[in-house]
Amino acid sequence: MQAIAGGEADAAAAGIAAQYIAAQGIPPAARLNVYAGTARANFIASLVSSYPAVRRLVGEDYFAQCARGFHRRHPSRSGDLQPAGLGFAQFLVELHGDDEYRYLGEVARLEWLIQEALLAADHRPFDLAKLGEVAAEDYDELRFQLHPSVRLFASPYPCVHIWQENLDAAEPEPIDLSEGADRVLLMRSREGGLVFLRLSRGEERFLRAVEGGERFGAAVAAGGAQDAQEHAEVEVEADAEADAEAEADADAGTFDATAALQRFVMAGAIVDF
Amino acid sequence: MNLSAPSDVLRSVPRNPLPARAGVGLRAPHHLEVLQRPGAAAWFEAHTENYFADGGAHVQALTRIRADHPLSLHGVGLSLGSTDALNVAHLAKVRRAVARFEPALLSEHLSWSSVDEHFANDLLPLPYTEEAIRHLGHRIVQTQDFLGRQILIENVSSYLQYECSRLTEWEFLAGVAAQSGCGILLDLNNIYVAAQNHGFDPWRYLDAIDPRSVKEIHLAGHDRVQIEGHELLIDTHGAPVCDAVWELYRGAVERFGALPTLIEWDTDIPTLDVLLAEAAKADAVRTCAHAQLA
Repeated sequence: MQAIAGGEADAAAAGIAAQYIAAQGIPPAARLNVYAGTARANFIASLVSSYPAVRRLVGEDYFAQCARGFHRRHPSRSGDLQPAGLGFAQFLVELHGDDEYRYLGEVARLEWLIQEALLAADHRPFDLAKLGEVAAEDYDELRFQLHPSVRLFASPYPCVHIWQENLDAAEPEPIDLSEGADRVLLMRSREGGLVFLRLSRGEERFLRAVEGGERFGAAVAAGGAQDAQEHAEVEVEADAEADAEAEADADAGTFDATAALQRFVMAGAIVDF
Repeated sequence: MNLSAPSDVLRSVPRNPLPARAGVGLRAPHHLEVLQRPGAAAWFEAHTENYFADGGAHVQALTRIRADHPLSLHGVGLSLGSTDALNVAHLAKVRRAVARFEPALLSEHLSWSSVDEHFANDLLPLPYTEEAIRHLGHRIVQTQDFLGRQILIENVSSYLQYECSRLTEWEFLAGVAAQSGCGILLDLNNIYVAAQNHGFDPWRYLDAIDPRSVKEIHLAGHDRVQIEGHELLIDTHGAPVCDAVWELYRGAVERFGALPTLIEWDTDIPTLDVLLAEAAKADAVRTCAHAQLA
């Protein structure tokens, strides 16, 4: 839609309103504004429910300002408001991608995945007996299925920590943006809550391959692969952080397929094949 | 989809019909309490779109609540009055919800919400003309054919009237029901709000509606705002039912008999007990009106 300056839009709307709407004391444009206000408020409320942590981070007023801007650019395309917030993360990246709030878009991206996980289909638990009927040498040909709520999230910022700090009513603690990157699997638990599993680089590559429909053999190969750029990154990270995760990554070439399969089946992230 | 004439709609008999008592609108903050207190309300009505998800906590909660209570599903997003193509993707989700939750009644609104596929996500009033009756009536027939059952259409609150309207709202609603074979969900608060805003007598509205077509009644609260020195009533669903609407309810019971009656509350949602108290009041008003008739 062509953006029109606010004043012109108001004047145009008032002219159109007066043609079709009876005045009855209250001017037609003011009558239309009642509806416009409700439509906007409903849209913003939908974004608040999709992005509670972002709202907490930026405050109610600035969130509403962003939401109004997003609404003008991306009006609702559905009679159900639930999908209305799709694309808000990208909108925030365009607003703040180069400034000190550059993590906002990343937190929004995480919150959208969380919402998807919470609304995804249910699935019965993995049938281990069914796997037992497959000969070990045939595993490579299996295409494992992730639980419908599984989402993989990677970010240069500690978004999961930021999200957790900004959910409850207590005063959030300051978070050091350089405390480390996120590489997680998130999913809905059987009880309906959220589960986050921290991933090694190998596990992430393995899961992305599974998510993409690769057979187990190919996914394991992806898990064990490591490109030159990653080698360099691992060395830098190991210098900077020297935490357990970075150490685990240092030997990403020895990705343990059996351990990974066991971990994700036991967590309920892999549910079938 | 059969796009032709009305309307050999299947009238499937619901497994668990709504009793002619007061129920309450089911809102997510009350899910847990409702599950812990089965039978606290006589029945529940849920917004269809709130349970569109493939799975998850809300869908599970409604599945369990449905097992213990009669249920009605009330849609707000079908945009039946719009000139956009009928939204088959939305309809398919409604159909899935109907299959999942087996509602005794299924309702939508006498309104439109979209133009060029852009949605206001609000219930906008229609121009009350013969042309609009044919348009909306036809789309309701398509909807009922798609879903294989009758739907109810609810009158909406309104804050404006169109210069081109030639009919009263009650003539329009009755015309739509007659053409499409839909039932009527009469929202007495919406009648009152529209009557105050547009200066008509709400009792004339009730008198004009065929008792045989009314299947459900809604009660809710509204708000008052001042715009350029004029008062406008706004349908907020955020307050108790007002005395004038209780009076209309007495009249409606006399005219239409005892019907499933819903207490709706959508903003500043109070505790479940507040809603149950409003429902108990509706039951008392209805019982009293009936006793006077007898």
